[in-house]
Amino acid sequence: MTALLELKNVGKAFGGLKALSDVSFSVAPDEIFAIIGPNGAGKTTLFNCIAGALAPTQGEILFQGRRIDGRPPHEICAQGLVRTFQIVKPFRGMTVLENVKVAAFARHPRPRDAEAAAHRVLAHLGMEAFAETDADELNVAQMRRLEIARALATEPKLLLLDEMLAGLTPAESAAMCDLIRALPRQGIAVIVVEHSIPVVRSLCERAVAITFGEVLAEGTTEEVIDDPRVQEAYLGRADAKVDA
Amino acid sequence: MSGFRTVAIVAALVVAAFLLALSDRYYMDVFILTCFYGALAVSWNMMAGLTGLMSLGHALFVGIGAYSVAWGASVQGWPPLVTWPMGVVIAVAAAAVMGMLCFRYGLRGYFFAIATLAFNEVAFFSVSASVALGRSDGLILPTSSEDSVMMLQFFDKWPYGLIIGTVLIATLAIGQYLLTSRTGYYWRALRDNEEAAEALGVNARAYKLRCFMLSAGISAVCGAFYANYVAFVDPRSVLGIDLSIQMLVYSIIGGMALLWGPLLGAVLLVPFSVLLRNISAMQGSEIIAYAVLLVVLALILPQGIAGWLTARWRRRKAAPRPEGFASVAAAEKSA
Ligand SMILES: Nc1ncnc2c1ncn2[C@@H]1O[C@H](COP(=O)(O)OP(=O)(O)O)[C@@H](O)[C@H]1O
Ligand SMILES: [Mg+2]
Repeated sequence: MTALLELKNVGKAFGGLKALSDVSFSVAPDEIFAIIGPNGAGKTTLFNCIAGALAPTQGEILFQGRRIDGRPPHEICAQGLVRTFQIVKPFRGMTVLENVKVAAFARHPRPRDAEAAAHRVLAHLGMEAFAETDADELNVAQMRRLEIARALATEPKLLLLDEMLAGLTPAESAAMCDLIRALPRQGIAVIVVEHSIPVVRSLCERAVAITFGEVLAEGTTEEVIDDPRVQEAYLGRADAKVDA
Repeated sequence: MSGFRTVAIVAALVVAAFLLALSDRYYMDVFILTCFYGALAVSWNMMAGLTGLMSLGHALFVGIGAYSVAWGASVQGWPPLVTWPMGVVIAVAAAAVMGMLCFRYGLRGYFFAIATLAFNEVAFFSVSASVALGRSDGLILPTSSEDSVMMLQFFDKWPYGLIIGTVLIATLAIGQYLLTSRTGYYWRALRDNEEAAEALGVNARAYKLRCFMLSAGISAVCGAFYANYVAFVDPRSVLGIDLSIQMLVYSIIGGMALLWGPLLGAVLLVPFSVLLRNISAMQGSEIIAYAVLLVVLALILPQGIAGWLTARWRRRKAAPRPEGFASVAAAEKSA
């Protein structure tokens, strides 16, 4: 397996606080990979390091064999790695179409081409009806979808999804899962940060669990979830069993 | 965003106003001042309203343009053909240096505003102390008794109206072109959410810098024009904080979410303040009247005149759908 993304001993300290230490794992070009861990474990910080919002203080991050750690986000995006935000960040002064168009400009410098590409993405995500709606007007599920639409419009090879399903109804959540599941077939690998164990089981073959910024377990989803240390980190006791 | 048709309509209105103003020197003066402040406010708002960069030191660039022309003409005898480009180049370079410093250290919002103000103040006091630039007395441009196209010296006012009207229309046309291009989308994305914009491939520093440099360049052109028109510059008139505040006021009153919004503010307020200055019997009463108008306008049109107009227009177009209001609310918020 040639890795699409490879992390080698990545660490990030905020002053004295070590938010991440010695995180290593790799992701293949055609998989959906999960990062699990309790709140405050460092998952979002890890995404920030991978996508360039933060520079790691230790280690290396390789994307398609090239070092990307410490590079600015726009360069990493241009290489084909894009992330969504746990707290959605729409461009509130723009319509849905304009939001997606901004992202499409990453591959299509001409306005006409960018607009066509943005329409394609919206149609693909079933959001064409909202094209002219102001981004401000969307509900939570639609805002999440807009986050994904924008990310996809940059035509990535790897998509990082930070807690995309939190706060969605079961139906919305199921629809989102179907969407995510179809991405590898379109040549897009995915890393999800997700709390729901059933969702992780259904989406991902491999996973890594982190607590306090350190890797607890890495391997197939079943191995990671069944690992006693992961069980303890999640539920605070070793004998607990996470229900599927 | 409204398209090129809007710019064409605005341009036609500017031409019409110019033709009307031809009848009277006094009207032409009002027309010229309105275009001058309108172009300045539009260029200021390209940063503040469209890119989210609030400059409080924009007079600096007006001053650079004005002093380039005044110093060039009075000390060196250089024609505008030399001094206008010189002023623009210096202003754009100054903006590049300021921008690189500010954006390098991530100055945003109020901090960026204060930094620009500080640069402006440094320039104000340096010029006020500089013998070569006439200290606080300023510089008087040499005049001859005959018109000279080369030196942009005319007895009539209309040639000046022609020049500044062209500057205004060109500013709007450039702005509209950029807004429909990638640059404009990136500017608005940076205004709305810088972090998200960067994650989606926007080189924040480069695009903010581009906006700053363009805005500074246009302001310098206006400053250069001012020097030739008034034939006198001093630190208070072209480097003072009041000038920067005026750009801000016209933009807020006119509407910051739209390219041409600030022009509406200037169209309403510049003639009004000229009128007040001429009719007010009591010293200072015009300032009070002006302030009252500002407060009233800010209260009844929180999204500016342009925002109010677009809301009405959208309401009429899409009566049963409530979306029209929403985008104005968004425009208001982003302003
Ligand atoms: N910019 C920052 N400065 C200081 N500490 C931070 C910063 N970002 C995150 N942290 C800290 O790093 C830890 C991990 O946070 P985060 O990555 O958001 O966790 P998760 O996403 O797994 O819930 C937390 O203790 C948080 O307080
Ligand atoms: Mg998080």
